[in-house]
Amino acid sequence: MDLTYTEAEEEFRSELRSWLSANIPDEWTRPGFWESLDDDESFRLRRDWERDKALAGFAGIQWPTEYGGRGGTPGMKAIYDEETVRAHAPRTVNPLGLTFLAPTVMAIGTEAQKKEIIGPMLRNEVIWCQGFSEPGAGSDLAALTTKGVRDGDDFVVNGQKVWTTNAVHGDKIFTMVRTEPGSSKHRGISMLLIDMHQPGVDARPLKQMSGASEFGEVFFDDARVPARDCLGEIGDGWRTAMLLLSFERGASGIAQYTEFRRQYDQIVEVARALGRDKDPVMRGTLARVLTELECLRLHAMHVLTQVEQGRDLGFEASMTKLQWSEAFQDLWEVFDDVLGEDATLDSIDGIDLRPLHAQAMWSRSVTIWGGSSQVQRNITAERVLGLPR
Amino acid sequence: MFFALTDDQREFDAAVRGYLAERFDLEAVRGVVEDPAGDGHPASLWKAAAEQGWPAVLVPEEHEGLGLGLVEAQVIARALGAGVAPGPWRGTVLAAEAIRLAGSPEQQAAWLPRLASGEAVGALAPRGSAPGTLPAVEYGAVADVVVVRSGEGLALVEASAFSATPQGSYDGTARLASLAVDGTGEALPGATAEIVAELTARATVLVAADLVGIAREALSRTVAYDRDRQQFGVPVGSFQAIKHALADLHVGVTMAEHAALYAAHAVDAGLPDAALAVAVAKAKAGDVALDATAAMIQYHGGIGYTWEHEAHFFYKRAKRLAGQFGDSDAQRARIAELTIDTVPA
Ligand SMILES: Cc1cc2nc3c(=O)[nH]c(=O)nc-3n(C[C@H](O)[C@H](O)[C@H](O)COP(=O)(O)OP(=O)(O)OC[C@H]3O[C@@H](n4cnc5c(N)ncnc54)[C@H](O)[C@@H]3O)c2cc1C
Repeated sequence: MDLTYTEAEEEFRSELRSWLSANIPDEWTRPGFWESLDDDESFRLRRDWERDKALAGFAGIQWPTEYGGRGGTPGMKAIYDEETVRAHAPRTVNPLGLTFLAPTVMAIGTEAQKKEIIGPMLRNEVIWCQGFSEPGAGSDLAALTTKGVRDGDDFVVNGQKVWTTNAVHGDKIFTMVRTEPGSSKHRGISMLLIDMHQPGVDARPLKQMSGASEFGEVFFDDARVPARDCLGEIGDGWRTAMLLLSFERGASGIAQYTEFRRQYDQIVEVARALGRDKDPVMRGTLARVLTELECLRLHAMHVLTQVEQGRDLGFEASMTKLQWSEAFQDLWEVFDDVLGEDATLDSIDGIDLRPLHAQAMWSRSVTIWGGSSQVQRNITAERVLGLPR
Repeated sequence: MFFALTDDQREFDAAVRGYLAERFDLEAVRGVVEDPAGDGHPASLWKAAAEQGWPAVLVPEEHEGLGLGLVEAQVIARALGAGVAPGPWRGTVLAAEAIRLAGSPEQQAAWLPRLASGEAVGALAPRGSAPGTLPAVEYGAVADVVVVRSGEGLALVEASAFSATPQGSYDGTARLASLAVDGTGEALPGATAEIVAELTARATVLVAADLVGIAREALSRTVAYDRDRQQFGVPVGSFQAIKHALADLHVGVTMAEHAALYAAHAVDAGLPDAALAVAVAKAKAGDVALDATAAMIQYHGGIGYTWEHEAHFFYKRAKRLAGQFGDSDAQRARIAELTIDTVPA
């Protein structure tokens, strides 16, 4: 057992810490600051800050320097995840690119794709969207009907994607497209990297239950994409997508723990302010969710150990997704218990509850996107436990 | 970062499990369960345990022990839980821990080599204090020495100084006794409040690890059964209601495994969050063991409710251990103290 990081990793931590403390305005750490901005303003501010961070060398931590990364270790990535949350760094504007597309490109992209995609993504010159879900194809992704027809060196794409995060801010969209006419299910799909700034692509915002419009829908009407802008082989998009989703599901537990643990403390603070922190039932409920959060932290250490040992987590990623998303949702259900009959009020006793409500609303989404909890349980039961389909 | 078992620790695990699978399987456990009047302390198992160094795990090398840590001890505890194995291993290890942590050099020299070799059997009284009646002492009736609370500290009571009355318990994988102690016992001079707390933490971790072993084994056996058992022309394990329940249990058991491992390390290394880690491990392990063993009965159907089937060994052992050294509610009360009443920095 060795729960420490190497000297080089700790050195990286202090470098990062000092950059973060010099570059995050106090105002940004104030609860409710980000929620007080409108969506576009928040997006612009975060995009520019993240670019500066990349230029300072704090992006693409574990990717090779030749592609614009820092060339660090998995341990440095874990430290990065922890420290950025701890310092109240703004949320990334390029989550689909950074968390899912980039590792997939690094794993199976061509040399040219690695060069073209990673650097600009890190500097936020290209904001990426994920074009998987369609009105008729969510959990059953293989039911997708967006079509691509070969025309010379291009594919011509027609169809619709929905719930697309960052739809209106996106520059490019990695899109699951059926490129073999007459194919069905998992065969004949390609993952095409489509430029969204063209007449054949129309992105519209959708308002979420939280009131924000972080996702939207994307319509393809004779959109063109060069056939070489395909990630993985043409017709082999299913395999590419499964690889990509494993990164989505295995997302960083250490960042999540750090964030959720702080939210736990915020909820406790509200309970204390309302004089509800002594209620034994309330305390038991809080302790129950804290237990799950601590387990998440330990699971993150387990995952990091496996990665450092060069092991592939494979379907274990579904367990990571279940643990973090369900624990996060439980955490915000406890918040409702704390507020009791005043659960929906914007403020109580002068405490502004709106930023907390925003998290509570968001917690309803995390068990849906990236493969719903039901889908993760199917995968865990069939692929990990070996129960029959 | 290395949060996992080392190769040596894995080998230790495989050795304990291998022995139980070959030489003390569930049929042998049944023999103990179905002989409630017996002492529940099979000589062959204890001899093998001693030869393989299970009771010696935490005893320092200078006292003829293996000098290993709580991480290794929880490996053994987990394997014993998985095998629902009877015997006074935990009590012996914990009595030795009390003597190691708080005993005088003379007490250590007198007891540690004998406890390490299995020549002497130890026990730890979880409740009551001497003089008085100490209830539900695991293997109290076969113990040569029992560690008891005495005043604010701890004391040793030898077999000649107590009388044991066996207590019936529906968990037939262990034996309990109530001990009547006349005197105050022989004080362990180093038993400060911190040492008493540390001993309790160590005991709690070992119980949590046993529960984790029970939970994993109950789940694996249920998965194996439901893969084969056919109803409606298909394996029952293909039904989503069962799949989802078992998938959730798999996540829960895995988290409890992490939690027991971490708590063992945290206590040994004296990490600042050790108290929280122990409470988390016990709360999680207790809950998941009760859930997994109840699921074992449910998802075996009628056969799972029979005496012939082994599900009840796991279920009953989980029921008993989940309450030891503070049940999940008590652990959560502790977690609340540690995370609600202390304002974060
Ligand atoms: C905030 C947010 C952001 C998103 N961002 C993106 C994005 O950027 N790009 C993108 O492509 N998509 C995105 N999505 C879409 C998301 O991936 C889908 O919503 C998700 O895959 C579920 O599909 P669905 O909405 O069609 O629900 P459905 O698949 O219709 O599911 C409805 C219900 O049925 C359950 N269900 C479905 N199949 C099974 C089964 N086999 N067994 C048991 N239960 C089942 C589901 O769990 C769910 O509870 C986003 C969604 C949200 C909420």
